[in-house]
Amino acid sequence: MKGMTSMEITRRGGAAMALATLMAAAPRARAATPGLMVRSDGQPQNLDPHQVFDVPMMGYALNTYDGLLRYQGSPPTLEPWLAVDHTASEDGLDWAFRLRPGVAFHDGSPLTASDVVYSFRRVLALGKAPASAFLPILKPENVTAPDPLTVRFRLDRPYGPFRAAIPIVAIVNERMVRANERGNDWGAAWLAANEAGSGAYAFVPGSLTPNERLDLQRHEGHFLGWADNPSPVARIAMRTARETSTGVLGLMNGSIDFTDSYLPTDQVEQIQSSRIARVERHSSLRTFVIRMNNARAPFDNVNFRKAMAHAFNYDGFIREILKGYADRNPGPMPNPLWGAPKDAAGYAYDLGKARDFLRAAQAEGVNLRQPIRIHIQSQLEQTNQAAQLFQSDLQSLGVNLRIVSDTWANIVTATGSAETAPDMWIHWVSTYFVDPENWVGQMYDSRFHGTWKASSYYRNAEVDALLARARGLVRQEDRAPLYEEATRRVMADCADIWVYNTVELRGVSNRLANYRFCPVGSGAEMRWLRLKG
Amino acid sequence: MPGFILRRALLVLPSLFGLLVVCFLLIRLIPADPAVALAGDNATPAQIEAIRRSYGLDQPLPVQFGRYLMDVARLDFGTSQFSGRAVAEDLAQRLPATLELTVAALLLGVGLGIPLGVLAAVHHNRWPDFLLRVVSVAGIAVAAFWLAIMLQMLFAMRLGWLPLRGQISAGVTPPAGPTGFLTLDCLLAGRLDLLADALRHLVLPAVTLSLGGLATITRFTRAGVLDTLQKDFVTYERAVGYPRGRLIWLYVLRNSVVATVTQIGLLFGGLMAGAVVVESIYDWPGIGSYTVQAILTADSKVMLAVTLLIGLIYAVVNILTDLVHALIDPRLRETR
Amino acid sequence: MLVLRKFLRDIPAVAGALIVLLVLLLAILGPWIAPYPEDAAASHLLRRLRPPSAAFPFGTDNLGRDILSRVILGARGALTVSLTVVAAAMAIGVPLGLVAGYARGVVPELIMRVTDVFLALPQLILALALAQLLGPSVESAMLALTLTYWPFFTRIVHAETQRLRGALFVDALQGIGASTPRILFLHILPNALSPIIVRATIGLGFTILVAAVLGFLGMGATPPDPDWGLAVAQSRGYLPNAWWFATFPGLAILVAVLGFNLLGDGLRDLVDPRLRRSR
Repeated sequence: MKGMTSMEITRRGGAAMALATLMAAAPRARAATPGLMVRSDGQPQNLDPHQVFDVPMMGYALNTYDGLLRYQGSPPTLEPWLAVDHTASEDGLDWAFRLRPGVAFHDGSPLTASDVVYSFRRVLALGKAPASAFLPILKPENVTAPDPLTVRFRLDRPYGPFRAAIPIVAIVNERMVRANERGNDWGAAWLAANEAGSGAYAFVPGSLTPNERLDLQRHEGHFLGWADNPSPVARIAMRTARETSTGVLGLMNGSIDFTDSYLPTDQVEQIQSSRIARVERHSSLRTFVIRMNNARAPFDNVNFRKAMAHAFNYDGFIREILKGYADRNPGPMPNPLWGAPKDAAGYAYDLGKARDFLRAAQAEGVNLRQPIRIHIQSQLEQTNQAAQLFQSDLQSLGVNLRIVSDTWANIVTATGSAETAPDMWIHWVSTYFVDPENWVGQMYDSRFHGTWKASSYYRNAEVDALLARARGLVRQEDRAPLYEEATRRVMADCADIWVYNTVELRGVSNRLANYRFCPVGSGAEMRWLRLKG
Repeated sequence: MPGFILRRALLVLPSLFGLLVVCFLLIRLIPADPAVALAGDNATPAQIEAIRRSYGLDQPLPVQFGRYLMDVARLDFGTSQFSGRAVAEDLAQRLPATLELTVAALLLGVGLGIPLGVLAAVHHNRWPDFLLRVVSVAGIAVAAFWLAIMLQMLFAMRLGWLPLRGQISAGVTPPAGPTGFLTLDCLLAGRLDLLADALRHLVLPAVTLSLGGLATITRFTRAGVLDTLQKDFVTYERAVGYPRGRLIWLYVLRNSVVATVTQIGLLFGGLMAGAVVVESIYDWPGIGSYTVQAILTADSKVMLAVTLLIGLIYAVVNILTDLVHALIDPRLRETR
Repeated sequence: MLVLRKFLRDIPAVAGALIVLLVLLLAILGPWIAPYPEDAAASHLLRRLRPPSAAFPFGTDNLGRDILSRVILGARGALTVSLTVVAAAMAIGVPLGLVAGYARGVVPELIMRVTDVFLALPQLILALALAQLLGPSVESAMLALTLTYWPFFTRIVHAETQRLRGALFVDALQGIGASTPRILFLHILPNALSPIIVRATIGLGFTILVAAVLGFLGMGATPPDPDWGLAVAQSRGYLPNAWWFATFPGLAILVAVLGFNLLGDGLRDLVDPRLRRSR
């Protein structure tokens, strides 16, 4: 028996050894592919930039598509891109964009005004996320191409954020998309898994496993040329890591070059000390907010809300938990942006004041014993940390805060009405377009009640009027004081608890240099990157 | 015998229908609105409403279910509310990865489980037996998500022997077909280097997934061998001095694995479900990670399709198991 | 006594019993045993992610809480969930099994078909979907697990009842006019008790494990519960440096489930005459 067993083992051992040799001989993949970089920050739900508009989509579309204008740098400025210049009429209703000549799509065909018109009409017709900035003020027939290099827009009424929202629309290749239309779907099914752009990188056909992997190849003929970049990335492998932590591990063992921009602050030191990678840290325009449902007791009482605002340990959270990688932002507007009042101090952590306000609230009939629920996004650890910190401070004030673990989709559904919206919840407001409208405008104007952004159900007729006026003006210097005043009033009413403006943290391999950050797109525009070795 | 198979197959149908009803009801009652997930971050209520209408989410439940049944009959599982793609297409693209992982885990479980089970039985009630019993129970008791993290820490991070995640290295272009099974395609394309790379990626997920099955197979083999060892022919052969090793590995094992084989069939369904956790930790591009994504985004079409798929696999395996039983034990054919 | 002596000779089973005893003790006495019982909810920002030391044998977590304390405090939650789930599953599954095994006609057939449906449902996926449906919380996790676990009891009791229905003593009882509920609950159920207990013991371990998976995927326990699965999930953001954060809660799951399984196996060997012969 002994003999047989050991023979069995030897035989199996031999097979295992052969297998091990085979596997050890596996090529180091990177060496086999020069110019390759690996991203772990995920791909959009589908590849159509007119159907999806969020951070992952920008990480894809900023590389594969071009827009009329593009945000560059931090703080972001609007730069000419496909359009070399543009004009607006005095009343802000008529806009004309002059296109750069000689731009080619990935298939070689020229990009003309007709493609731009088709793209805007397609966005309006599909009516999905990117359309929300245009639907109220732009009809499809009012986008026209008088000649191959000119695009005209006629708006229904003056609209301040129009220019700021222009980069949202990616220009697609009309001929290609039309060729793949099914019924009147505007090619939606086809473009969800294909690409028809002119960007610096082109999608590699056949490389897509949705939500898992996707390859991009450098587009030699991009209109900007590559003269500025001696060693661009030749091929980008997008490999979705479901957890940020997996991306960090990959970064540290060299299998991933570029993580998402939501790194836990605790990871910063260990990545910095790894010598193989670094953390790119950039002040962004992404505010962290604890929402309060102003339409419901006890948050319908302003003293109670102020007590809450004084009970959050802002400095402790930013300094200890976030290790200082965030800037205190006392109001709804990101500090660096125009329209943010520089004189409004906001609320400070002061449990004494919190107690006073609680007493005042109690005198006005607020029941302090009533438990409050705060909803966190279970996938985002920071919302959990903030809630737990808040919970322990409130406990010392005798306020019972219950943490409810929830998901984005659930919360957004619940915020559809004031009755179902959570007492409190935590989220970020990212930059979708660089305009105060993206923050104070859509968060506190009561016309947006029912959307997640306006989920405080704050209602103040004066603020509504200020915001409506600001929206109808075109010039920034006219609009700024209105947004500032609206922001001051919202802050005086303490509609929400505003915590910080984000420092975006992205792990980047030391193989990559010349990382350029822009709050729009979070620095995921790859054409500037230089590859070493 | 064909009648028996037919009868068993027909009995599965009502179960599958029940399966559909239960899942459909549960999932349609989820409060999270798939239209919200679909519309994206910046959508207005009007846009969400339009999307709800275009996906028929505003219809009464029975109507939605009736529609769904007709679609299923045509193998059309609808479009994912999250990605906008056809669910059937996604499943077809991802199923091979899951099957590959599951089969690898099964092979590992059987390849190690049977010898270990025999070893435990031969050393019955002595320390190798105790040790193997504890270890095999530990294989069932360990949380796969935790084990996966520990294995990643050790083999991918500290030792650097094996890849951290994924199915193949980022820099290589896997062969496009013909079977969809990555390792098989690499082999058929004659790309031994890619095959090796794929196998290296397969090791950690397969080991993590296999432990539960390994434990089960070890236990059943041990019990089976112990049973057989007490049978008359063994006592006889032993008495006439037949070499013990040969006796055990050739005759006793052959007579004992029957119970184990039926277990292997049953395990397959369990492995498919276990893949949900394992795949999402190792970023394995199969239906397990797809399912987790669907649950987090309340994508009901995907949840329904996956539940049905796994239920179907379970049912088929059940029929096969019954068949094996019936082949072994003709009496069962009468009672069933 | 003979049974007890036989059990004591089974070393793994005894080890299992000891572990189960330990988990029970921790669950009952946790708040008095834990070095920092207030760490169930409190947070200490100034001592975050400390490695294991004399003061914190298992280290501290991302909010500066003592992990040893939270592992100890987590026992109560784990055991509450598993006891509730198994009890509820038995409450549903056992009567259904008795009826299905004893009665004749359409009803038992229907019960067993429904049981088949639930058995064919992929448990984990159903539990996840249910937890999503009810909003992630311990209560919805328990409901989900109960709904997926009762069929196991139905199946066992059904088989046992069918076997016993033909037994002589049941004929006799029917003959003297005993009522059906009386026969089922006073005479058949006690005879079917052993496999039920074995299944329940293993089920307790199994439930701890699946509840941990739900917690890990964010569909079970909610912060600040000292839940083991949740702790492993939270620890991922701090790897590879804070290895202790991931390691100890995971080990707690392993040891607890191992205990119940070893005990269950031992009990099975004790009560199952066929297997007893074979060892």
